[in-house]
Amino acid sequence: MIPTFRATGWMGSDMDALLLRSLQGYVRDTFGQARWQAVCRRTGLSVETFEPMLRYATGTADRVAHCAAEVLGRPVETIWEDMGTYLVTNPGQEGVRRLLRFGGTGFADFLHSLEDMPGRARLAMPDLNVPELTLTESGPDHYTIRCRSGVRGIPRVLVGILTAMADDYGSLCLIDAAEDDCISVRVLDSLHAAGRRFDLARPEG
Amino acid sequence: MQITCPVPLDALARFMPMHLLLDRDERVISVGPTLERVLGDVDLGSARFQDLFEVRSPGGTSTVAEMLDRSADRFRLVVRNEARVGLRGLAMPVAGGDQVLINLSFGIDLVTAVRDFALTDADFAPTELAMELLYLAEANAAVTRELRGLNLRLEGARMAAEEEALTDPLTGLRNRRAADLFLERLCSADAPFGLLHMDLDYFKTVNDTLGHAAGDFVLERVGCILRDQIRAEDCAARIGGDEFVVIVSGRSNAAVLMTVAERIIARVSSPIDFNGSECKVSASVGIVRSVDMTKPDRTRVSAAADRALYAAKHAGRSRAVLLPAPLE
Repeated sequence: MIPTFRATGWMGSDMDALLLRSLQGYVRDTFGQARWQAVCRRTGLSVETFEPMLRYATGTADRVAHCAAEVLGRPVETIWEDMGTYLVTNPGQEGVRRLLRFGGTGFADFLHSLEDMPGRARLAMPDLNVPELTLTESGPDHYTIRCRSGVRGIPRVLVGILTAMADDYGSLCLIDAAEDDCISVRVLDSLHAAGRRFDLARPEG
Repeated sequence: MQITCPVPLDALARFMPMHLLLDRDERVISVGPTLERVLGDVDLGSARFQDLFEVRSPGGTSTVAEMLDRSADRFRLVVRNEARVGLRGLAMPVAGGDQVLINLSFGIDLVTAVRDFALTDADFAPTELAMELLYLAEANAAVTRELRGLNLRLEGARMAAEEEALTDPLTGLRNRRAADLFLERLCSADAPFGLLHMDLDYFKTVNDTLGHAAGDFVLERVGCILRDQIRAEDCAARIGGDEFVVIVSGRSNAAVLMTVAERIIARVSSPIDFNGSECKVSASVGIVRSVDMTKPDRTRVSAAADRALYAAKHAGRSRAVLLPAPLE
């Protein structure tokens, strides 16, 4: 059933909606439908399905992630990070990886494109409230990304996404969450492995 | 002071991967690598501009000189090969008029061209918005896919809610609102129909002696019986406590309607076993037909059906009465 009363129409947070939908996909695909139902019961919300194109009260995503942490018995940070990786690597979500790969020809180029992310997202959905990202080159092959968002889990999701994208480009990196919503990225070897193939043309279907 | 442009050809190829530099005879001096791929297997050494391209606008021109004469520095072309890819561009005389520099772009055909020629980001200058356009096309497709999914799920939920709003939860038959809508639709379509208004006899006794659970069980049984007796195009509804309506669409033959009613009465009248106790009910049915009314509408039909049911009860129970009585 559709979440009729928890979705808040055009008020509320669209980032929460996207994260809730991603979390739902991640937990269902990785741990099974029963665990996801247990997570939803724990939240006290009367829904089990979140709609990515609707909006939910700010903080709903963090709340559901905390319940997932309790049900699955692992830290909420790990859940957000693994979900970020799932978004890029899960074959069913190929669209996310492709949209990210348009950012640059190599991993460094991709990192620099992160600052364009809000602009890119707004091209597709003009009112999407994406997190603001600032990239600083702290040294040779060392970057710091500051991530400002209303959802507390976002920097961790980004860590997961960056880890998977480094792999996708064939780069060997150390990616860590630092304090103050900052992420530290050290590129150890940018040509470590052959990256995954990327065709500009969208696969049929 | 004379200013000359010091751009060597290989730099030109990087800046403009889809450029074309032509001599006075409009033969190719230099071609950008991406454009070269689009042109395919063609001998660029001997080809002239008009051998390679068909000019779509400005109309009536086929050479660059003609285009420039029309003072049209912007133009649209189609490549003369199987791909027939559309290009748009800009041409300017350079080198004191000895050469013409043309720069081309795919325009909105970009998405197709990228697929057909297996282009990569290295085939575009970093200053171009090609990546952004491709990105936008994919993002847009993704958003549309999500919206379509949402619409399907909402439609499913809407249909389920509507079905629920029109269903009597106890018997699974339609409810009063559904029966009213059904009747209104038939009346406004001027379609012939027969309506059976049924009331259970001795139902109160079952409720009083065996309890409400037994009463509910009887109502459920009656629901099954009615569902069995109707076709997909008919409507069977529970419109009150022990009151039911069956609307038989397209049938106004008195004998047919009487047969349907009598069959229902016979089945309802057979004893129903509830946890070892026997529930005995029966039914009275009043029948009306749209063809007996000059202008049937919902209120009039309901009132007539009430009168018919009253007549049936009055005539003794377990009966069906059709009003007005058909002429024998």
